[in-house]
Amino acid sequence: MHTPIRRPRAAAAAAALATALTLTACSAGEPAALGDPETPSEPVELRMTVWTADENHLALFQEIGDAYAEENPELVSGVTFETVPFEDYTTTLTTQLAGGNPPDLAWVLESYAPEFVSSGALADLRPVLESAEGYDVDDLVPSTLELWQDGDGLYAYPFSNSPFGVFVNTDQISAAGQENPADLVASGEWTFDAARDIAAATAEDSGKQGLVVRDFDYQLWENLSTVWDGWGAAPWSEDGTQCTFTDPEMVEAMQWIHDATFDDGAMPGPGTTADFFAGDAAMTITQISRASALDGSFEWDLLPLPAGPAGQQNVIGQAGIGVFTQGENPDVAADFLASFTSPANAEKLATYFPPPRASLLDAGTLSAANPLLSEEQLQTVVVDGIEGAVTKPVHQNFAKLSETVRAQLDAMWTEDADVAAVLDETCAVIQPLLEE
Amino acid sequence: MAAAASVPVPRGPAAESPVSKATPVSKAVRRDWAVGYTMVAPVVLGALAFVVLPLGMVVWYSLHEWNVLAGTFTFAGTANYERLLADPGLADSLLASLWFSIGLVVLNITLALLLAVLLDQKLPGTTTFRTFFFSPVVVSLVAWTIVWSFLLQADGGINGFLSTLGLEGPNWLRHETTAMLSVIVVQVFKNVGLNMILFLAALQGVPVELQEAARLDGAGAWRRFRSITLPMISPTILLVSIITIVGSLEVFAQIDVLTGGGPGNSTTVLVYYLYQQAFRFNEFGYASAIAVLLFVIVLVLTLLQWQSRKRWVFHEV
Amino acid sequence: MKSEVMPPAGGNHPGAERSGGRPGAERPGATAPGAQNEPSMILGGPRQDRPPPDRPHVSRAGLRARRRWARGSLIALLLLLSIPFVFPTWWMATSSLKPMSEILQAVPTVWPQDPTFEAYGQVFALQPFAQQYWNSLYIAAVVTIGTMLVAAMAGYAFARIRFPGANALFVLVLAGLLVPSEVTIVPLFRIVNSLGLIDTHWPLIVIPVLGAPAVLAVFIMRQFFLALPVELEEAGRMDGLGRWGIFWRIALPLSRSALGAVAIFTFLKSWNLYLEPIVYLSSKDNFTLPQALTQYVDAYGGPMWNVQLAATTLTVLPVLAVFLVAQRQFVQGLAHTGLKG
Repeated sequence: MHTPIRRPRAAAAAAALATALTLTACSAGEPAALGDPETPSEPVELRMTVWTADENHLALFQEIGDAYAEENPELVSGVTFETVPFEDYTTTLTTQLAGGNPPDLAWVLESYAPEFVSSGALADLRPVLESAEGYDVDDLVPSTLELWQDGDGLYAYPFSNSPFGVFVNTDQISAAGQENPADLVASGEWTFDAARDIAAATAEDSGKQGLVVRDFDYQLWENLSTVWDGWGAAPWSEDGTQCTFTDPEMVEAMQWIHDATFDDGAMPGPGTTADFFAGDAAMTITQISRASALDGSFEWDLLPLPAGPAGQQNVIGQAGIGVFTQGENPDVAADFLASFTSPANAEKLATYFPPPRASLLDAGTLSAANPLLSEEQLQTVVVDGIEGAVTKPVHQNFAKLSETVRAQLDAMWTEDADVAAVLDETCAVIQPLLEE
Repeated sequence: MAAAASVPVPRGPAAESPVSKATPVSKAVRRDWAVGYTMVAPVVLGALAFVVLPLGMVVWYSLHEWNVLAGTFTFAGTANYERLLADPGLADSLLASLWFSIGLVVLNITLALLLAVLLDQKLPGTTTFRTFFFSPVVVSLVAWTIVWSFLLQADGGINGFLSTLGLEGPNWLRHETTAMLSVIVVQVFKNVGLNMILFLAALQGVPVELQEAARLDGAGAWRRFRSITLPMISPTILLVSIITIVGSLEVFAQIDVLTGGGPGNSTTVLVYYLYQQAFRFNEFGYASAIAVLLFVIVLVLTLLQWQSRKRWVFHEV
Repeated sequence: MKSEVMPPAGGNHPGAERSGGRPGAERPGATAPGAQNEPSMILGGPRQDRPPPDRPHVSRAGLRARRRWARGSLIALLLLLSIPFVFPTWWMATSSLKPMSEILQAVPTVWPQDPTFEAYGQVFALQPFAQQYWNSLYIAAVVTIGTMLVAAMAGYAFARIRFPGANALFVLVLAGLLVPSEVTIVPLFRIVNSLGLIDTHWPLIVIPVLGAPAVLAVFIMRQFFLALPVELEEAGRMDGLGRWGIFWRIALPLSRSALGAVAIFTFLKSWNLYLEPIVYLSSKDNFTLPQALTQYVDAYGGPMWNVQLAATTLTVLPVLAVFLVAQRQFVQGLAHTGLKG
């Protein structure tokens, strides 16, 4: 900086600059593997950022954290859980990282997983978890770990695995004289076409909306994957290098969504937000954890995702906990994470978050956590839903892709749009981003 | 206080006329200078520490490739600035910013002036109306925007109201022009109260005698407004428009809640674009280059406005 | 000849479309359909209400009737204009008495179907809301007083004292007006962090008082002192007051009105500050109100609207009440400031 600074200030300003500008670039590239935590010279204070503000959650976390601190007084003096509002979570996390004050551990959003995993921001947990006594890494359901792995490394623990299902408003559906979707599930006829017909007829009858893909709102298009997975469609190839929006499955699935919206009125159009839980819609595709929003003002049921032309595909939404390599004590933090997610503690956490452990995934254990759901619903939607489930589309460059695709797809959400042409254009625009 | 009978009290705007170096400076004058430096010291030091230093750091960041997640920070020379020039997204957002700022400033100032004039009529209930118009200023931005996002939906309150009049309203947030208009109007309603108060105060500062004299000369009300009131309050208009333009470049939450930058990229204004680059795409170096650009734009705009004041601002104090 | 000042009956839409961009438009109401051209009412405050002497043709009674008509129309216009300003606030306050499902209805209800105060209880049960209220209040108060003091001194010096470099320093300070907070949040965070002041209230107090947010206040104070007649200070000088004495005993007391403007600007800004507290503060006991509002979420991060709106209402109403009481003084105060460029 060559800005002339007044003399008396120069020293102080330079000092501040020096501290503020010093950026440690050491953690780039290969993340260091973690081993046994070396006992730090004095016990450290660990900090984990979370986006829940629920006092029950926080009380449970604190209980586990305090127990760990008591058992390991030479390692940690305490663990604090810092709530960051969900809306500003990544902003705040990024600012803390950029500002040189990263938390030791953090909840990581699913859609940012590949960016976090591949950037080297998170430490490899596998060695620590494998060496932790009684941890039983093999108990973790492989499909839940996929998103959080890179090669052999495991960079976050998927503490929450919430399957997508279909909530239906049986009051509205029976009032419209439609068949109960649960019967269709039983007879194996629960398909997207059937759901669309019921939704359209019910919406017509109720004057409200039919099928709502929750949180899509014509912005977060990745939520549509719960639909197009039934067609076997995907936005890009598995290795993330080729755009597949133009593949026939995807074009067909998107055309289906477009027509269900604009021709049949089975799905709400753009600019219309209908909240299923407020009784504004006949059915909604969302994570089962949203059951807590049901206030008993109407009769409802919870069903698995319908089948598409390519069969039925379960989808889960996840959240992970990772350890920042840029933190001050990644070894200690990883050791704490192993304890936080040990079989015993995982069972406690299962009260609120469907765990990734096969041994805990049974309707009996989960029903304590989800009093609103019957054991049958839990079995069909949650337990069966987690096995073999896929996640929403992700990519190392997801943030940019998400934004670019959103802007492109806007052209599709009009009545007379040429779906195939929009998807062609979308691929043309995002292909360079996929290759970045 | 020690008697310092000879403290010079300058006439006229002191800061405008530089001290001639040739004049010998007396001890009393020097003491007066010292008082001056002491008085401005807090804000000057504050500006250095909390404005100039951070800006300098942003310039420094803009010369680097900074991936916050990976913790990499490598010198990149002017690469980020070269990227600025070739970035079509940036051009779009500049255009969006331009429309947004123009729309906001014109609407905001017009409405603020209209409200101020109406409230200056000493009608019954003026106090209440003043509070009405001012109230959004104190309401939390997020709550304000959310209510409007409900109202602006395709089947929301506004179109419901229009349909009772037999009109079919557009899908406000989903068409490029109406989306931008909606964002502007929501923002105008939120903040116009403050500008209205400033105008109201300015109107009340216009000497009654001038108005009376013009009226006796047979000048109509509109003519009086144009020839007397407007020139008399033009300094306030300048101040208000500076504040509004600068403020218009900081709009963020409104766009995030209402349109998310769409449809297409039509409401992705510069600050929103900057925010995306920095906090969503983790491109801190590039975001810093955009920040530098933003600063230069605001600086130039403000200077232009300030320079042009002599042409249309009636009196400089 | 009928004077232009004479309002034709039924003038109701004075200059609704008068935009700054069309200075030549002689008939401002013409663009608004149905609006009569009645410009005179624009300026027809009481001070102009006395009929000028040269008005022989119209009877007093007719004039009064017309004026009553015009006033009625103006009030109707004001009422209409109020709707977009008041409805959202009204909705916010009443929705805090509604259950969640009613809040989320696409077409808002004007009055809750089944009002309940339950959400207000939860506001205090879920978080140390009283503590957070106090945090916001004291931070805003300290920032306001600090800014008034700092800005008054700087404004006075920039306006009155001819020290070398005054112009350059003023421009330097003004630069703060031009920097959006999104631009400097990361470097400021680094500075605050390197000083070890994360999760304290210091950055929320010191940066606004000394940094960019104070610049507008400095600007307002400088303009005020520029407009203040120098003669007022002469007397103090005669009495043997020094520069500080003149500032403290004469200039500062005279600037009450400008200080009032600065106070309300500053208080509101601090009261509504959002991004900075979220970035700087991490423990609930330290939170400020806008940040606390975001914490009323259910187990899955979804907002508890009724509780959020109840809390929002609690943060808005006191400020509105203060404004309602103090507005006359505030506006008049501003009117006498040198807020003139």
